[in-house]
Amino acid sequence: MKWKHVWTLLRKDFLIEWKEKYVLGAIVLFVILSSYIIYKAFQQVTPMSWNVLFWIIFLFSGLNALIRSFSSELSRQYLYIYQLAHPGEIILSKIIYNTAVLSLVSIILIAALSLFTISPINDYKLFLLAVLLGSIGISTCFTFVAAVLGQQTSQSVLMSVLSLPLIIPILLLLIKITANALSIVDDSNIMSDLILLGGIDLILFGVAMIIYPFLWRL
Amino acid sequence: MKSLWWKCLCIALLLYALFVGMLTPLKPGILNISPFLVSSGERVSMEVEAYNVEAGKEWQAYLKKDSLSYLKASAVELTNGKFKIDFEIPSHIPSETSLQALTLLITDERNGTLVYPEGIQLKSSTNESTSSWLKEGHPRLYKKEGFLFPYRNILRETIRNMYYHVPLWFSMFILFFAGMMCSIWYLKTKKIEYDHRASSLIYSGMLMGVLGLITGSLWAKATWGAYWTNDMKLNMSAVSMLIYFAYAILRSGTEDIERKATLSSAYNIFAFITIVPLIFVLPRVADSLHPGNGGNPAFGGEDLDNTMRAVFYPAIIGFTLMGVWLGQILLRIKRIKEKIFFNKIDF
Repeated sequence: MKWKHVWTLLRKDFLIEWKEKYVLGAIVLFVILSSYIIYKAFQQVTPMSWNVLFWIIFLFSGLNALIRSFSSELSRQYLYIYQLAHPGEIILSKIIYNTAVLSLVSIILIAALSLFTISPINDYKLFLLAVLLGSIGISTCFTFVAAVLGQQTSQSVLMSVLSLPLIIPILLLLIKITANALSIVDDSNIMSDLILLGGIDLILFGVAMIIYPFLWRL
Repeated sequence: MKSLWWKCLCIALLLYALFVGMLTPLKPGILNISPFLVSSGERVSMEVEAYNVEAGKEWQAYLKKDSLSYLKASAVELTNGKFKIDFEIPSHIPSETSLQALTLLITDERNGTLVYPEGIQLKSSTNESTSSWLKEGHPRLYKKEGFLFPYRNILRETIRNMYYHVPLWFSMFILFFAGMMCSIWYLKTKKIEYDHRASSLIYSGMLMGVLGLITGSLWAKATWGAYWTNDMKLNMSAVSMLIYFAYAILRSGTEDIERKATLSSAYNIFAFITIVPLIFVLPRVADSLHPGNGGNPAFGGEDLDNTMRAVFYPAIIGFTLMGVWLGQILLRIKRIKEKIFFNKIDF
């Protein structure tokens, strides 16, 4: 594996995104619209419901954004890429790219939700750390499932069914950690949760890296 | 006949687990006590409902505070499975706090010792306290002989669920693990046979998991009072079942055989890695009412005694063998289907 290849593939993904600005715009609009619906539908948002709403919107806008990570390019284009790079490099670049997209979504979401409702975050450092770790885990799961599904016709239905159960452990840990960052609960042992989350991320990442080379040819 | 021995073993073990697990009586125990609130310096007459007791030789009853403080009952009488026990509680109690939990012990040579742990609340009306109550030495405690399952408060007869619910989860996990190994082997060798094996094992493991959920749910109704609760362990096992249902959907949603095999093998490995934290790590982080968490009984030395082990371990082997057997039948169905499919194409 060469880092240069990973970097080139990442650059390619970002360039494509920059060319087709409408996709990024659609994601941003989705986030803002959902926040606006919450603002209109909820009379009063408590920090507890803010926490849950944040993760639910994050999840579904992330799902929307990442669903096309392996189907956006034509299969002929793929054949070309696979001749140039090792499949491990391709999945690594996709995971990094998707993590970046999810982090962007989360930052826009924090801003939009805080603008429309309340901004209950007390411990920004902890919150952002949780968001980053969560983005890595969730993007690994989504990318892997998208890679498994590839260019299947029923992709979008299967994508949510296959990936949502997989990320439930990550999501439950995230809700617990961010509840701490919002001072809803006070858990002095939050470090062990963060380590556990990092551990799950690492395992999922490792497995995805090992299995993907068997999958790419399909 | 040679390959039949383990099926016979499976049937024998399951029948053994079913009959011995269901028919062996429990040791005698205490159902409830009234009144359970007593105060110091008074003379109480308790009515104690007992379970599975037979006429005894010489009944003795004690209130226990700690290993140094026993109070002997002045009279114990058993009629129609109900005890009438008189205690004369001294005005000084062996504690500084005003409310104390006491354990009731009723003992007899033939019935063994009946225990109701911390079921009686003692209220002190004076500030007097002494270090101990012990007057006449430690009471003699007996053990009922014979092959009997232990009596536990609240659990009572549901303790038998240990032989069905827990082995079902064990066998599910063993089958899923074997399925994952087959999937890894498929990705290595690309022989379709291994994918058939993996999916058969997973499907039979899913049956075990669903049965485990159902038995657990019935048990929860009897002990916790609800079929489903917000407990971490329950919900995580439900999620792990959902992951494998997604596996089934993925398989049925893919047409091409080789593609189906590769995709589902990859997903299977990923799924198994995900359910390890779901079942083994996360429930230990959160509080849970489930046995094995938060001081609730599970496999600890006293909780799983030798009579229970004698049924529990054979049940694990029996259920696992049944899972393998089911998987084998599914595998054969798949092979036959494949043969029919390819014959049709050849004609």
